[in-house]
Amino acid sequence: MQKHRSSENPGNVLRPTTPPDIANQSQRRRIIDAIVESCAEKTYAATTITDIVGRAHISRTTFYKHFDDKRACFDAALDHCLGELQDIAAASHSPGDPPADAARKAATAVLETLAARPGLAQLLTGDAIALQPRVVERYRRATVPALKALWQRDGGSPPQAHTDPRLAFGQAQVLILNHIATGKADRLPELRGEIVYLTVSPYGGHEEALEQARLARETATSGARAR
Amino acid sequence: MTDEPEDLRQWRLPRGRHGLPRELVERSQRERLLAAVVRVTVAKGYESTTVADILGEAGVGRESFYELFDDKLDCMVAAHKILLDDLEKQVRDAYIGDDPWPPRVREGLRVTLEWFAADPEAARFLLVETSTVGPAFRAIFQREYARFTAMLDDGFDDSTPGPELTEATSLGVGALLAKIYEEILRDRVTELPRLLPDLTYDFLVPFVGEEIAREQQAAAATA
Repeated sequence: MQKHRSSENPGNVLRPTTPPDIANQSQRRRIIDAIVESCAEKTYAATTITDIVGRAHISRTTFYKHFDDKRACFDAALDHCLGELQDIAAASHSPGDPPADAARKAATAVLETLAARPGLAQLLTGDAIALQPRVVERYRRATVPALKALWQRDGGSPPQAHTDPRLAFGQAQVLILNHIATGKADRLPELRGEIVYLTVSPYGGHEEALEQARLARETATSGARAR
Repeated sequence: MTDEPEDLRQWRLPRGRHGLPRELVERSQRERLLAAVVRVTVAKGYESTTVADILGEAGVGRESFYELFDDKLDCMVAAHKILLDDLEKQVRDAYIGDDPWPPRVREGLRVTLEWFAADPEAARFLLVETSTVGPAFRAIFQREYARFTAMLDDGFDDSTPGPELTEATSLGVGALLAKIYEEILRDRVTELPRLLPDLTYDFLVPFVGEEIAREQQAAAATA
């Protein structure tokens, strides 16, 4: 590992200042960023290992130290992107927020992230689904239990569902997919009313969901409003 | 489009379960090719399907194929469109009318679920295989999504509450799409009609609230 790094970093040949495992992590991260960008630009099918190593500024050997093949690299990128979205959703609200408010904040944060990171949005809604249609079940498993947990934070009995949370998740996904497919990925926050409604309605009910949708639209940035 | 069959069911499943006599499917080559691309892509996956596979399944020559279609994708897109033309027609017949809006929605949903349940192969082709064709998928998705949201809009009447959510129509289409997709992945397409009561409820809530949706759910369960 040191050999590769020092050749990329000629000023530090004798004494690398970065510990090897951190360098390792940053290489891995660069590879992941590279495949995400390349897929966004030319799709997974058209992306080659050469594209990835070129963008990541690493050698093929280094690539194969981290991943067996292009697919393994893509799967890691998918894990990474999903993990990132989950972290952003979790960080968007605080323990004191009532469940519906927390759900609204999480949904809004996810939409804004997808809008700001078209490569990530493209990967999750395009290539990932094309490669493995069942990935949508994974998205749902990452979302619905987290949502349910918001309404059960005090360790009380499980919340009663007003509408089917799995279906609401599917609806949100279809709305987002359609927005991206129609070339409006950067305008995803336009959907905040609908997505917040779908996020709140299963466990919070129709009226509460409408209220949160109104709140979400009122707090919309002026940029998203002036379209 | 004049050479398209009037009764799509006859070419969609020309062999097997439906037991249709072979003469029935000896129709135009175009119809046979459209039926073949559905069967082959569902069996093999779009990526590994070749034009030769489609020709073999349809019993049509290569030259005829290229007279009718540019390539594999072109053939697939044509099959996709003709199936959804049929679905749209049947749902419109059930949904557009003079009755109050909520029961018409229920009827439209019933017809949709029955349509997919009658042909799991077509369901998988339309919703799953098409998503694997690459960049062209977006254009197809966009077009078909727009056509079904437009149909839902066409059925609104004065009794329909003004939706507070601007994309409420999309929510409706999204509900159906999401539900059918899920059942395809779980290999339970034939059981879709059982889901009518709950789907009616979930579909209607954003438009009319929980109480009216509950009434239609009950009506769907007793019908």
